[in-house]
Order: sequence, then C-alpha cells, then structure tokens
Amino acid sequence: MKMYDVVPGLEFDPERDLEQSPAWFLDATHSVPPWTPMFGWFWVNFCRHGMQWGAEKLSLPTVKGWDWRFMRGGGYLTLLLVKSEEEKRRREVEFRKAILPFIQDYDGLWGGFIKEILGRYDNLKSLDIDTASNIELLDNFEETIDTCRRMWEIHMYMMYGTYTAYILFENMCRDLAGIDDTSPLFHQVVSGFDNKVFQVDKRLWEFSQRAARDQLDRIILDTEPGRIREQLESDGTGKAFMNDFMEFMNEDGWRMQRMSEINLPTWVEDPAPALGMVKQFLQKGGGFNLDEERGKLTEKREQAEKEILAKVPAEQKGWFEQLMRLAQKSGVFSEEHDHYLDLYTHAMMRRSALGLGRRFTKLGAIDDPEDVFFLMPDEIRRAGISPDQFDLRYIVERRKAEWEEWQKEPNPPAILKDGFDLDQAMGVLVQSNDPIALKVVVGSMPQVRPELKADLYGTCGSPGVAEGTARVIMTEDELHLVQEGDILVAASTSPSWTPVFSMIQGVVVDRGASLSHAAIVGREYGIPVVMNVFEGTAKIKSGQRIKVDANLGTVYILDK
Amino acid sequence: MGRKWIYWYEELSGAHNDLVGKKCANLGEMTALGMKVPPGFAISVDGYERFMEESGAGEEIRRYVHDNRNHLNQVGKQVEASRAIRAYIEAKPMPEAMKTELYRHYADLCRRVGTDEVSVAVRSSGAVSMPGQMETYLNVSGTDRLARKVVQVWGSAFTTRAIAYRLEKGMQMEKAPIGVAVLKMVNAKCAGVCLTVLPTTGDTSKVVVEGNWGLGESVVSGEITPDQFIVDKEIGAYECTLGEKNKMVCYSSTGTCVADVPDEMRCKPCLDETELYEIVRISKDVEAHFELPQDMEWVLDCDLPFPDNLFWVQTRPAKYSKPKHNESEYLAELMTRVFRM
Repeated sequence: MKMYDVVPGLEFDPERDLEQSPAWFLDATHSVPPWTPMFGWFWVNFCRHGMQWGAEKLSLPTVKGWDWRFMRGGGYLTLLLVKSEEEKRRREVEFRKAILPFIQDYDGLWGGFIKEILGRYDNLKSLDIDTASNIELLDNFEETIDTCRRMWEIHMYMMYGTYTAYILFENMCRDLAGIDDTSPLFHQVVSGFDNKVFQVDKRLWEFSQRAARDQLDRIILDTEPGRIREQLESDGTGKAFMNDFMEFMNEDGWRMQRMSEINLPTWVEDPAPALGMVKQFLQKGGGFNLDEERGKLTEKREQAEKEILAKVPAEQKGWFEQLMRLAQKSGVFSEEHDHYLDLYTHAMMRRSALGLGRRFTKLGAIDDPEDVFFLMPDEIRRAGISPDQFDLRYIVERRKAEWEEWQKEPNPPAILKDGFDLDQAMGVLVQSNDPIALKVVVGSMPQVRPELKADLYGTCGSPGVAEGTARVIMTEDELHLVQEGDILVAASTSPSWTPVFSMIQGVVVDRGASLSHAAIVGREYGIPVVMNVFEGTAKIKSGQRIKVDANLGTVYILDK
Repeated sequence: MGRKWIYWYEELSGAHNDLVGKKCANLGEMTALGMKVPPGFAISVDGYERFMEESGAGEEIRRYVHDNRNHLNQVGKQVEASRAIRAYIEAKPMPEAMKTELYRHYADLCRRVGTDEVSVAVRSSGAVSMPGQMETYLNVSGTDRLARKVVQVWGSAFTTRAIAYRLEKGMQMEKAPIGVAVLKMVNAKCAGVCLTVLPTTGDTSKVVVEGNWGLGESVVSGEITPDQFIVDKEIGAYECTLGEKNKMVCYSSTGTCVADVPDEMRCKPCLDETELYEIVRISKDVEAHFELPQDMEWVLDCDLPFPDNLFWVQTRPAKYSKPKHNESEYLAELMTRVFRM
C-alpha cells in the first residue's frame, strides 16, 4: 500500500539525519500530542524556514537557525551551527549592522510587522468561504500557506533579535550591577507592562461585568460553558449580549483552543472557552486585579530601574538605559506575539482548510470536512479545482489510521546517535549561544542547596513566597479544575492559560527560562514562579499543600 | 466675481499647502482629524495676488524692483526696499469687492461663535518656509481693522530678511505666495505646548506637556518656567514639576501684554489630571496619524465647559535629538559579544 510522505523532503531518516547531526530533540511543547498531518506539514516546513530566515537576516554569528524533521506527528529539531571561526567573525560584522533596527526603532519595526500581518489576515478573511468558487477557495489556501511562511519569518526574526537584547541585559545587570536573572530586583524591572493578551483578558472581564449588570450572571453561572451561548440567545437581553460578544470574537477571537494544532474550533466558531472565562470571572467576583496589580508593579519597576541605574557608572548609563528599555519590550513581545502571529495564523489555516474540507465533502472527495486535516497541500491541490473528479478517501483513511497509531505511543524526547548521550547533546545546545535555545528550551540550571532541605530546586521566574494547595495540570482541557488560591504545577504553560493566573497564588513548572510564558505572566500578576524543577509534575500530587519560595528557587511539599 | 479666495478650515486639508500656506493647511488637516481648532477662516494665495493686481501695488513693486535691480544685493538697499515696498502695500486699501467678501466671512464667523465683532488673531501662513514671514496681529476686532491687518500681513512678505532670502535663493522678488489665517482669539485660562517625545533623549514612550496661565506665548518664548508634566504613553503614569509661574501673557486693548500672576495661582498646577489626560489622549492620536512625534500647541478656554474648551493651534513634526548613533553602535557591538560566551 502506497503511503505518501506527510512532509516530503523533511521526514526523519535515521541513517542520513543522524549522520548530519548526532542529536535531534522532540519539540514537546508544541508536538505532544502528535500533530495532525496537515498541521505538521505547516509547522515543520515554515517554523524551520522562519528560524533559518531570521538567523540569516540577522546574520547570527554562531548559528544558522534550526533544522527540523517530522516523525510520527512529532517535530524533531537540531541546531545548524556555524562551522568555522572565520565565518563567525564575518557574520559578526554583518550582525552588528543587522541588529541596529531593534536598537534604534523597535516600535516602528514591530508595529510595521503587526500592520503587515494583520493586513494579510484581513485579506484572507475577506473571502466568503461558503459562496466562493473552487478556484477562489484554492487561491485562498495558497495565500494562507504564504501567510504562514511570512508569519514564521517575522516571528523568528523578531524573536532572535529581542532575545539577544534580553540576554545581553541579563548579562549586563550581572556584570555592571551585580544582579542576575534569579534576583527579584531583575524581575521587577521587566514587569508592569500591558500587552495584547492581557487586553483581551480585560475585555472578557468587562463582559462579565456587563453580564452582572444585565442580570445574565445567573444563566452563565448555572450553565456549562458549551451551552452558555445557546442559553443566552434564548432571550432578548442575552441575544444583545451575545451579539456584542461575537463582534468582539470576530475582532480578537481568531485563536485556537490549543496553541499548536488546528483540529479544534477557533473562538470565532465556538466561543465556549471564552464564555468559560467570563464565567470564571463571575465566579471569582471583584475587580480586574491585573490593573490594580499593574499599578503597584509599575511603581516597583520605576523604583527598581532607579536602583539598578544607580549601580551603573555614569558614562555607561546612556546605552544601558537604552538596553533596559529594549529588554522590557522583549518581554512584551515574548508574550503578545502569540496573539498576533501563531494563534491568529493557525486560525486562518483552519478557516481556509475547512472551507476546502466542506467543499470536498459536498462534492464527494472526502466524507467529513474535518478529514481535510489528514491531507497535505499537494493532495489538496490534486482535487482543488474539480473536487468532484477525485476520491481522496483512501488517503484520509490510511493517514487517520496512522495518526491514531501515533497517539498510542509517545515519541522519544530525543533521538541520539549511538555513543552520544543526552548531556553531551544539551552541551551542544548551550554552546550554540542560540538565543531561543537558551531563553526558552534550556534555561539556567537550578542550584541544589541541601541546607535549605527543599523537596525540589528550581530557578526564579518571578519573585515571591506562597503556600497553598497544589493543582497539577497536564493539559489545557484540565484548566477548569483550578481553584481560587491554588498553586499551579505544570510541565509548562502557554497564552491560553493566562486567565487562571488571576486565581492562583503561585506556579511551579518543570521546564522554562526567564522569557517563558509562566515567568512573564507570573511577574505581571505579582505571584511567585519557580521554574526548571524538572520533576514537579512527577513528585507533586494535586491536593497536597506546598510552599514555594521563588526567591530561593525552592519548593516544599508540606504533607507528604 | 473672481476665484474663491477665502476658505473655512473644514474645507481644507494638508494637501492645500500651496493654496493657503502651511499654517492654514495644517489647521485644515487638524480639523479633518477631529481636533478642535479655534473657529476661523483662511485667505488663500489667490487673495494676495488679486489684491496686488487690483490695488496696483503689484505694478508699483515690479517697477521699484526693476529700477533698483542693480543695488538690491546691498544690505542697506534691502532695508530701504523693505520699507518702500511695505509702504506701497500698506497705503493701498483693500479693493471694495474683496472687502465685501471678507466682511461677509467675518460676519459668518461672528454668527458661528455668537459674538458681535469677535476678536481674532491674524497670522501669516507662508506656502514655503521663509524666515521673517511671521507677522501676527492679535486681538483684532471690527471689519475695518481686520481688513487693515490682513493687508499688513501681506506686506510682511517683504521684510528685509524675506527680501534677502529671496535674493539668495534666486526667487522672484515681487512674487510672495502668502496665505493668511484668521482665527477667533481663545479666552485662554491656560495654554502651552505638548511634545510626544522627550526632546532631550529622544524617548518616544513619553509625552511632555508644558503650560502656564494665560496665553501660550509665555511658554513658547521660554520666558517663564512653566509647569511640566511627563506622561508615560502606555500606562499614563506621570511626573509633574511645578514652575514658578510669576508672569503670564494676557490680551490688552491693542494686542497682548505681560501681567503678574496672582500670588495664590503661582504654585498651583495650571492643569488638572482630567485636562492633562485629554491633551495626552489627543496628542497620541495625532502622533499615530502622522506616524511621527509631534510638537503641538494647546489652549484651554475659560468660557466653555471641559472638554469643549480644549483648542489646538498648531501641530508639526517635533525636533528632538535622536538616540545617539554611536551609543546604538556600541550596544550592537555588545550584543555581538553575546555570541562569544
């Protein structure tokens, strides 16, 4: 039986690929559980392209981005290192010029990209996929592919540039002012900023206030999120509320329920997750505490800025302050780019693909619109213009069977060449000086200090101390289990987890660095975050009382 | 009836620079942006040219320039030329047909603001930047005085500096494209400037608002230390430094004068927080529209209720020191070292 490649040219080939690089790491943050074939095709092709494009545009001295392979629904990556010292020197000269736009006009740079990409989305959305001709649908899909490719270029170029600035700022704080990225003072100086993700959360909170005023709060509180819409739409006030809510969704709801997959509805198709957050705000009551919190954080930040600047010699202050501002913007970028880039583009991919899926189903090429996610673009092109002429069911069937197999057995966290171990492999990551590898993948290693008698040791993502009930959450589907006052324990977190930060007292994550989601959001909510504890989700059980001291990087399990 | 030569600001936009001069085109652009500017109208370059033609002043200037063409490069002769030409112009009454039209607009303006013989400012509005073309007459009321001041502004196109400049640039002497802005005088409670960038550091995350009691001239001229507010664009937090505002500029019967600020008002901020935030809010919108940091002038009227009393009289690209180049390059060099660890 002929089985077509999902990502032609980039399927993992143990023999040749281990020859090229002795270590390939699973992108566990994005490709567990295994991707649908279509999403895998998009990610492996274009995340890979974006990283190499960004690294090349900036002429990063030591690394040419990452190479990616696809295996059983998993994305495997390795670094493309610059091979000779001579080439590194040459790339340094170019890098010095290429990084200047970040220093001289960061706002213009990022603002320009936002404008460009939102323009592309508007263009894609302007096609009515129900009435479009087959050719228009196919064109829309091709433009979506191109948009995804462009999105990743912007994404990785910006990420490499901002993270480099952030790392330099950490280094300079350490060298000039004697504070490192685990120090509370450092965290104070990079928090207290608004961003697009928080603004969306605030709109949701405002809808909860309106629901209370319109006396719709009972309906929302007594109804499962999945049925809130239907319940509300059964009377006049509720209908008006839902009208405005859907208008808001059309503006800011172009995002996926799962960070990196397209087989679940967007908020625009199914606002249940967003309505669930409105419900959570109603349950919690009170003000939008991020605003109050931010006022305090801003004050603290200004104080911290003064304190840090006072430690910097006068003649160094000029560029140091410039660097500090850039590092602060890096934190904001790190958090809000998901909204403008990944989540929005993925929503566009789903919209366009489903348009084709519905047409293919209607004309008999496949059985169910969602089956389109088991096809890759070449196969879609096969039937794109005249779907009535083709039967793609046999491809969908084989792929679906294969995909179901992938779900059964987890992919290995790394594929290593014989004689090469994980420590060596991690060493290569660190030596690359790749800013993304350092700030997101590896992070700093925790110091074990036996005199503190802690159960787990990590690093400080956000300063503070808290004691409360542990809530171990492995996937987004379990987020509703989080209770007011809990301490969240997770492998890592992503932007769709942000709303629960308003309920919890602290966070423990297995992996992460100072630019990971949990650290940035924790700082904005002023709650302690301990990261890189490695075994938090394995050692801690939901319901146990735990104490976290992020300043020391320790976690204590109080009732063992 | 000749060509149209008087325009309301809502009829104009930034594209009408050549027609009515920069200041008027800018006021038109501001009106189009929804910024409130003091009510008034603009007199176009055509008005100037028609006056020169119909009054005979143009012919006299041409003759004078022709007769003196060999001496005009001497500074002494330029001073003489300025005096002579301005005298020709100012001696000419405005032709009756033009007067009728001007008076009709003035009457309309009086009706619009609900005041008889409303006091206006008459300002020059050059189509090209030309030093010395900055004649301004404040507190002008009544039709006859208005017509006289408009003619005087036209005459101000021939100051010594303007003549020297035109010679230097090889521009025609007797031509001087100049518009005139006629604006209702705002009964200023306080006034000042607003910059959407810190001019000293080039920090674009801040808005600086400076103000004093009375008219804005005291702030613009830098004669007193105004109140200064530095506002963060994103979070709205601000620092306020109160100036010792002992003098302010007020209207007098013939123009303006400097007066003492009453003791109890000297150390009181001239803006409250709501007024400050309204100024900042609009300045951010305008900056976003032009995609450039702006240097703006605002006035708060004491006769109207807030926020209807906030008027804008100017917005233009701000001049500020860009963050230093060598510091950026040094920073780029440091970033390179991140890859050498």
